[in-house]
Amino acid sequence: MTKALFKKQMMESFSWLYFNSKNGKRRSGKGILLYGLMYLLIFGVLGYVFYMMASGLCEPLHGIGLDWLYFAITGLVGIVLGVFGSVFNTYASLYQAKDNDLLLSMPVPTSRILMARLSGVYAVGLMYEMIVMIPVLSVWFFSVKVGAAGIVFSLLIPFVMSFFVLTLSCILGWVVAQISARVKNKSMVTVLLSLAFLGGYYYVYFKASQMLMDLIANAQNIAKNVKNILYPLYHMGLAAEGNPVSMLIFTAIVLVFFGIVYGVLEHSFLKLATANRGSARTRYKERPVKAGSADSALLKKELKRFTGSANYMMNCGLGILFMLAASAALVIKGRFLAEILDMLMLYAGGENIIPLLLTAALCMLASMNDISAPSVSLEGKNIWLAQVLPVSSWKVLKAKLKLHLLLTLPPVLLLTVCVLVVFRPEASFLVLIPLTAVLFVFLMAMWGLFLNLKAPNLNWTSEVVPIKQSLSVTLTLFGGWGIVMILGGVYFLVMKWLIPAVFLMCTDVLMLAANAVLFRWLKTGGSRRFEQL
Amino acid sequence: MLRIENLTKVYGEKKAVDHLTLHIQPGEIYGFIGHNGAGKTTTIRSCCGILQFDEGEIYIDGVSIKKDPIACKRKLAYIPDNPDLYEFMTGIQFLNFVADIFGVSAGDRQERIRRYADMFELTDDLAQPISAYSHGMKQKLAVISALLHDPRLIIMDEPFVGLDPKATHLLKTVMRELCSSGTAIFFSTHVLEVAEKLCDKVAIIKGGKLIKSGTMEEVKGDTSLEDVFLELEDAQ
Repeated sequence: MTKALFKKQMMESFSWLYFNSKNGKRRSGKGILLYGLMYLLIFGVLGYVFYMMASGLCEPLHGIGLDWLYFAITGLVGIVLGVFGSVFNTYASLYQAKDNDLLLSMPVPTSRILMARLSGVYAVGLMYEMIVMIPVLSVWFFSVKVGAAGIVFSLLIPFVMSFFVLTLSCILGWVVAQISARVKNKSMVTVLLSLAFLGGYYYVYFKASQMLMDLIANAQNIAKNVKNILYPLYHMGLAAEGNPVSMLIFTAIVLVFFGIVYGVLEHSFLKLATANRGSARTRYKERPVKAGSADSALLKKELKRFTGSANYMMNCGLGILFMLAASAALVIKGRFLAEILDMLMLYAGGENIIPLLLTAALCMLASMNDISAPSVSLEGKNIWLAQVLPVSSWKVLKAKLKLHLLLTLPPVLLLTVCVLVVFRPEASFLVLIPLTAVLFVFLMAMWGLFLNLKAPNLNWTSEVVPIKQSLSVTLTLFGGWGIVMILGGVYFLVMKWLIPAVFLMCTDVLMLAANAVLFRWLKTGGSRRFEQL
Repeated sequence: MLRIENLTKVYGEKKAVDHLTLHIQPGEIYGFIGHNGAGKTTTIRSCCGILQFDEGEIYIDGVSIKKDPIACKRKLAYIPDNPDLYEFMTGIQFLNFVADIFGVSAGDRQERIRRYADMFELTDDLAQPISAYSHGMKQKLAVISALLHDPRLIIMDEPFVGLDPKATHLLKTVMRELCSSGTAIFFSTHVLEVAEKLCDKVAIIKGGKLIKSGTMEEVKGDTSLEDVFLELEDAQ
């Protein structure tokens, strides 16, 4: 029984490796191997980052006799990554498990169900933690002469540490479950948290080397603080050096902490597993309504679809944020950038291609918004509604285009104004740059919709599939960049004969023609295709 | 109100519906029965303009669904067997969306939403996201949304699946009331007792072909609809 439970839990925790999320089918042996290798490569790249961090820390700290601090700091990073990787697994498998009712109806003691669930979380946490700990241990063994006890304890530490990761994951998973049950607009909260994480990541990424230098410079003070505040980590560091007493203290602290949390969980597991997981209930109160047109209803529906999905917003609307950030950056540091570009142009000689570079940058950023690209696929099983309602298919498609344009054009125009104010190009570019940017946004909106109508996927089980893994999204995103790069390449071929302003005019004519062709197809062939889906 | 003339729909080499002809008059409740895969859903989806058919014609209030699908869709309401509704909306947002599409005035929609939501005991849940609804609640919401624009023809695919006994009873009452006011109802069902008690006329389909149709008395005679259905199934 226990073996079957553990096997089920491992299959559940690592199902991403064995099952294709697109069609829900099991991967072939070759597929599993390739998918596994791909993940190994990703983990390898991440591991290399931590290898660099470990290399920077190990020898300096060893040099001043603070080997334990090396383990304390890297161990803390490992714990953070382990908790980050496993907390949502805890949330899903412990507090939101779909098979609780099934397992509870079987003759299985609840303690075994809990143990099996925790084993899955432990394994996932260990996997993430090892991305840090394998490079940390490698650097440690290569740089420092370690005794037999040190080797054994160092190798045992990640496994003990993972119990600590598990404990923190259980607590944080519970917090996530409580927040999730109370928050009304989960998508927006998810987006904000993701953006905060992204911002934090880039902050740490750009400040990493400075932080490492500060850490080594203030090692003695930091060591004193770690010893006082993070006492278990101090003993973990000493254990890695081969101190058996510290190994016992560290293990005992971790296990006691885990034991307390396990006891609480075991005591309340039945209540947790059978809790009503619905979100905060809002009672309907009738309010006066205003009748709207079919067009506005369809547009509102598209907007709700967009704002109702964190995945959709983060993957297809991130360009909005980048364009707003770029506008702010231009206002703050624009003149400095303009002076550097002017100097470069002066040094390079020839035609002033700054307006072309700016237009290319604008288009690149605008193409990061591919809102229309998965919009047909996202209809999914609801497609019958769009087909049975008394509106033409063109109206439905138009609403999808409108949403893309409404969300993309304002930040593009804002950024364009900032570009024009900061870089002050010649008079002709005051018209040509905004015109090109607007034509490009229209082109991307229609190109994405065209591709999605040609290759729709209405049979998805997770919305991540049409948003992240569809042909239309990939081709729209990279197609946008491709168009910009091809046009850049063409300019270098024809620059002898065409000045930048004339080249941009030609580009605009080409884009106008492409827009007209796509618009005509969407209105006729595209609408027919939508009716037949 | 609904005229199906020689309807044929082919999937690959299989004829899902084979030269089917049916006429449904205003104020009639018309039951459509047949085994799984007989062609009921294909017929229903063709009538609603969701599926494009290969041969024949479908007229709604005299208008061809092929030639003017929008005009036809304005007059009908469709309730599918599996109500996949927009889960990113709340119940009330969905009802307002449908009302906007059909151009229902603010006053009419408020009165109808209040009446039908109270009747189906869904009022308190209208502010909830549809993703939090049970199958039965979604079915009730689909029924309410179908009644918002006062349709002249209601087409339903297995409308009673997922509804609790009270909601089933209410839906049957609403169907009767609508028919009294001249609305035509065409629905498929596997529950033969319901069809027998509720329908004015019935059609039995097998392998895409109509095998019997007419008034309930003409079809079942002195026996039960179940006996006739099983007899016809075995005989063919």
